[in-house]
Amino acid sequence: MDTILTVDNLHINFYTNNRCNEAVRGVSFQLKKGRTLCLVGESGCGKSVTASSIMRLLPPLSRIEEGEIIYHTDQGDLRLHELDPNGPEIRSIRGAEIAMIFQDPMTALNPVYTVGFQIREAFMYHTKMAAAAMKEKAVELLRSMRIPAPEQRVNEYIHQYSGGMRQRAMIAMAMACNPQILIADEPTTALDVTVQAQIFDLMNDLQREHNAAILLITHDMGVVAELAHDVVVMYMGDAVENGPVEEILTKPAHPYTSALLRSIPVLGQSKSQKLEPIRGSTPDPYNRPKGCQFRPRCDFATEKCLQDPETFDVSADHTVKCWHWEKVLANA
Amino acid sequence: MLTYTLRKLLMLIPMLLVITFLIYVGLELTPGDAVSFMVGPDALANMSPERLNELRDALGLNDPFIVRYFRWLGRALQGDFGYSLTSGVPIKTIVFSRLPATLELSIAALIVSTILGSILGMISALRKGSVLDVSLTVAGMVGVSIPQFFFALVSILIFSFNLGWLPSGGRTLPGYTTFLDRLPHLVMPALVLGATMTAGVMRYSRASMLDALSKDYIKTARSKGLPEWRVNLMHGFRVALTPVVVLVGFRLPMLIGGSVVVEQIFQWPGIGKEFVAAVRGQNLPLVMMIALFTVAAVLIASFLVDLVTALLDPRIRLE
Repeated sequence: MDTILTVDNLHINFYTNNRCNEAVRGVSFQLKKGRTLCLVGESGCGKSVTASSIMRLLPPLSRIEEGEIIYHTDQGDLRLHELDPNGPEIRSIRGAEIAMIFQDPMTALNPVYTVGFQIREAFMYHTKMAAAAMKEKAVELLRSMRIPAPEQRVNEYIHQYSGGMRQRAMIAMAMACNPQILIADEPTTALDVTVQAQIFDLMNDLQREHNAAILLITHDMGVVAELAHDVVVMYMGDAVENGPVEEILTKPAHPYTSALLRSIPVLGQSKSQKLEPIRGSTPDPYNRPKGCQFRPRCDFATEKCLQDPETFDVSADHTVKCWHWEKVLANA
Repeated sequence: MLTYTLRKLLMLIPMLLVITFLIYVGLELTPGDAVSFMVGPDALANMSPERLNELRDALGLNDPFIVRYFRWLGRALQGDFGYSLTSGVPIKTIVFSRLPATLELSIAALIVSTILGSILGMISALRKGSVLDVSLTVAGMVGVSIPQFFFALVSILIFSFNLGWLPSGGRTLPGYTTFLDRLPHLVMPALVLGATMTAGVMRYSRASMLDALSKDYIKTARSKGLPEWRVNLMHGFRVALTPVVVLVGFRLPMLIGGSVVVEQIFQWPGIGKEFVAAVRGQNLPLVMMIALFTVAAVLIASFLVDLVTALLDPRIRLE
């Protein structure tokens, strides 16, 4: 299968208040054409930072310290991590080759411009379309996103849209130039469950039509089960486990993944289902534990865990960063 | 948009009515009435109360308050605002000869301070933490704190007395007919009048711009591959402008109030100077009418501000 994006050993630091926060510390994964990769993890684990760094949209006080982000095009490889974050090269990729949708479309779309104008902006810098053609294309995009009365809606403002329609307008904007990669940063967290399902349907259809690769960021395991082909589990800036969705969900090899799965309520099970929360809480990123980051909360922890875990191969495309992964597998 | 404009316009009418009523109550509360001013003090002493009453009847001064108010309002609507007590000149003549000068000064100050203030504030926000930003912030603090009269006197000393670049006062000279001829006279008073407001607008637009730049849609705009200038100007500044316009609207009354001091110092023949003279001479009808015109000007200006904010922000148009 064609790999379109490779992230290798990515390290990102944030420098605020004269302190350094290692937000991402060694994340690696490969995004493949026509497949959906889910970045899973709790708030603050670095999944959004990883996603933003691909587009070079990190905030001013942060920096890619180490590692590579490589975009594989037909013309050859583009080393995104080496580009100037405000330069013309990355700008010609943003929106055209890699597009992004955000968690809350109400705040992610500009309130003072019409939806149509904001879609047309993407055309202005990536195509040579005439004004009339842009207008027509914007209406067409809204129609393909199943927004009713698109001719009228295209001239309306975001506050006139409903929640689900806003996110669909956002996706329309992202898909305007047929990007190869769509990065979706928790696209349904702000939406109703029923609307969530519609958005996922839409994303599935888009993937089938355009053979786009989707990088989906979420903390919702239900979403992972429904959409993902591949999963990367993140904890405290580390990609602790990486593999195809069936293996991750049924045979988790990292204690954090398995604990995460045990803590999810299952619909239809009786009230007697016992939820097992993960004990303890996430450590302070400025005061990290030594060795494995999950050690203080882990049932399998031993002396060995004081050393940084190596990456082990569970199967051909399933890797895990845990000294005791075999015990975790056997225990499950 | 049209219904919004009409609704705002219709709301002006009751507001103006309330204000005219308050002004009329103010006039009523002033000691004496027209008769006591029309008849000289010597003649007044020799007149019988019956004769005075006849005079009052003839002038309609004995009618109930509300009747007299509407009669006064009717006359005012026809442009008859009464007479100045000190000179006997119709108030209408005074106001219409002085108002244009004040409007010229205030509008010039308003335009300068709004444009300068918002652009400096934007630059300050884009360069947050830089030497430029810090110096602009300090200049803004100083600008807000310096009293206008002091600023006016210092600039006269520097630009008129020492450098001789600009005239120290007045609005025009004999033979100066076009606006361009008069422009040098306008520069200093307008800048002094606008200085405090420039500083205020600058600090406000800096905060507003920083707020806009921290929003998600800025990241969205960047993620579309838009160039930085477009992200900053069209997505950041455009949104940051709405609160700034509202601030400018709130500052309008201060601008007109402030012109009283500035007109006095620069000998600007505006309504503010006339206002000071009228207060000193206890020329109450003139004071009241000038107050009425000032309030009306403020109301109309705030109506215009409402229109501009609605144009800038579509969310305001539909309540």
